[in-house]
Amino acid sequence: MAAPLLKPVLVHSDVTFLSTTKSEWIKFRTVRSTTLGSIVFTVLTIGLGVLITSLIHAHWNDMEPIRKLTFDPVSTSLGGTVLAQFAVGVIGSLFITSEYTSGAIRNTLSAVPRRGQLVLAKLAVLTVSMIVISEIVCIAAFLIGQQIYAGMIPASTDSLSNGADLRSVLLGGVYLTLLAMLGFGIGLVLRQSTSTISTFTAAVLVIPLIIFFLPQSLQNAISKYEPSALGRAMMSVTPPDQMFGPWTATILLTVYVVVIVGFGTLIFQRRDA
Amino acid sequence: MLTVEHLSKHYDDTVAVDDLSFEVKSGVVTGFLGPNGSGKSTTMRVILGLDRPTKGRATINGLTYQELKSPLRTVGALLDAKAVHPGRTARNHLRALAASNQISVTRVDEVLEFAGITSVANKKVGDFSLGMSQRLGIAGAMLGDPEVLLFDEPVNGLDPEGIRWIRDFFRSLANEGRTVFVSSHLMSEMAVSADQIIVIGRGKFITQGSVDALTATAKGTVFVRASDHEGLITLLRAHQGVVHEINDGGLNVAGLTSDEIGQIAFRSGITVLELTPQRASLEEVFMDLTADSVEYGGTTLETGSRA
Repeated sequence: MAAPLLKPVLVHSDVTFLSTTKSEWIKFRTVRSTTLGSIVFTVLTIGLGVLITSLIHAHWNDMEPIRKLTFDPVSTSLGGTVLAQFAVGVIGSLFITSEYTSGAIRNTLSAVPRRGQLVLAKLAVLTVSMIVISEIVCIAAFLIGQQIYAGMIPASTDSLSNGADLRSVLLGGVYLTLLAMLGFGIGLVLRQSTSTISTFTAAVLVIPLIIFFLPQSLQNAISKYEPSALGRAMMSVTPPDQMFGPWTATILLTVYVVVIVGFGTLIFQRRDA
Repeated sequence: MLTVEHLSKHYDDTVAVDDLSFEVKSGVVTGFLGPNGSGKSTTMRVILGLDRPTKGRATINGLTYQELKSPLRTVGALLDAKAVHPGRTARNHLRALAASNQISVTRVDEVLEFAGITSVANKKVGDFSLGMSQRLGIAGAMLGDPEVLLFDEPVNGLDPEGIRWIRDFFRSLANEGRTVFVSSHLMSEMAVSADQIIVIGRGKFITQGSVDALTATAKGTVFVRASDHEGLITLLRAHQGVVHEINDGGLNVAGLTSDEIGQIAFRSGITVLELTPQRASLEEVFMDLTADSVEYGGTTLETGSRA
């Protein structure tokens, strides 16, 4: 090839929060972990929702009266989120850890040296895209679930025009978005994909299992604080007595996310890339 | 202009860079030379704001990297060609970089074309050979049309044609008045592609100068052919000369000038048949300069007979 002589770039403009966000949005949607993760997430939430609601429908007549009495058509239709929460955790984790696995973080930071700005831009992209997809998926799972319950006795009267139902469904989307951010925050601290995903899984799945083996009194006192219990509280129309109310649960989970992401950002700004 | 001032970088208990100071001027290709593990990459990472210096600082036109408003338009760097998300296409990788510094998509296509990778622009970077990744790295470095360019071991993995291309590229960048800073552990590569050379060893500054000046200051040897080699060897050794007998009927002498050798031979009545000062190659100068600072130098194994 002959001598370079590229045309010079004439326009000069700075790195801004908006330009960083645009860059991160391109990065977010151009890797398979995001697209595949989103497909898995959608299929799991809706598919499991259909399975759970259909099974309940089929076995309704055999159910004990007490189960019928406490039956919650909203949270059961959102039952797929129990597995889908791992998909969003992985999406959030990989959004930061894949930068370290490949070493691309050095490219990223030479383009955007202000690290606080970079974290904010990444969070903006993650939060906005996850809230959009999570709300759509939760609403879809809810509507399909109610459709399946429709012929059941007593027929479900739940719909999105019911304030409590709408709140449960929307907070379902918020819960999943917060979990994606939690995965991101853990990734910011740990940097490695495998340890981040294991830690996330431990927080959401293993801790409840450990709590399960504790004495009943202790269980009641602490189990309401673990993330998946907060999620159940957020998604149920009338949370059981031993759980937090839906809004308290939302605030508490947000605090967890802020603490972990805040700590992650602090050390991200200090350490060598 | 790139300035490094009293830069030190410690990792736990190892000192990677130790009170390093130098300036890299625009308009020339400056080679950054040192054995493997001598702190070249660390220095470059500090310049790019990736690693925090323990002491001192590195600035570009007086600003630290974090203070640059539009970094890609000021500095273009290629540190590790493989440090790109393997699942992303080359074009998307460059588009994301460009977007962060508000550089147009048109420019992305220009640099792809320039680096000769337009045909693989929509292929995943993970499938790239090292040579192709190097070209992608160069495309990325040129995105913002920067005035300062940093390359860490850029010829690694390139074929001969690629190496020639990259030398011409450095040359034309310098001719356009840019600052070109290229690290290498290969003296021979720097001898042909750099104008100025900065030599470091074990994180410390060793010397800086033009390629010509460095070879000139080096201690050369003198080739001597004489009537009585045995006698001359004894005499030269008595005068602190280091004598290596070589095959084609002559001696290679270090530590004495040709004038001194001529005088010594004359006083003893030995006829000098040939007396030629030998200029040291840049490679030898480098070995000489960094001999004490090779981090992972090999040792010679004793191969004694076993009883």
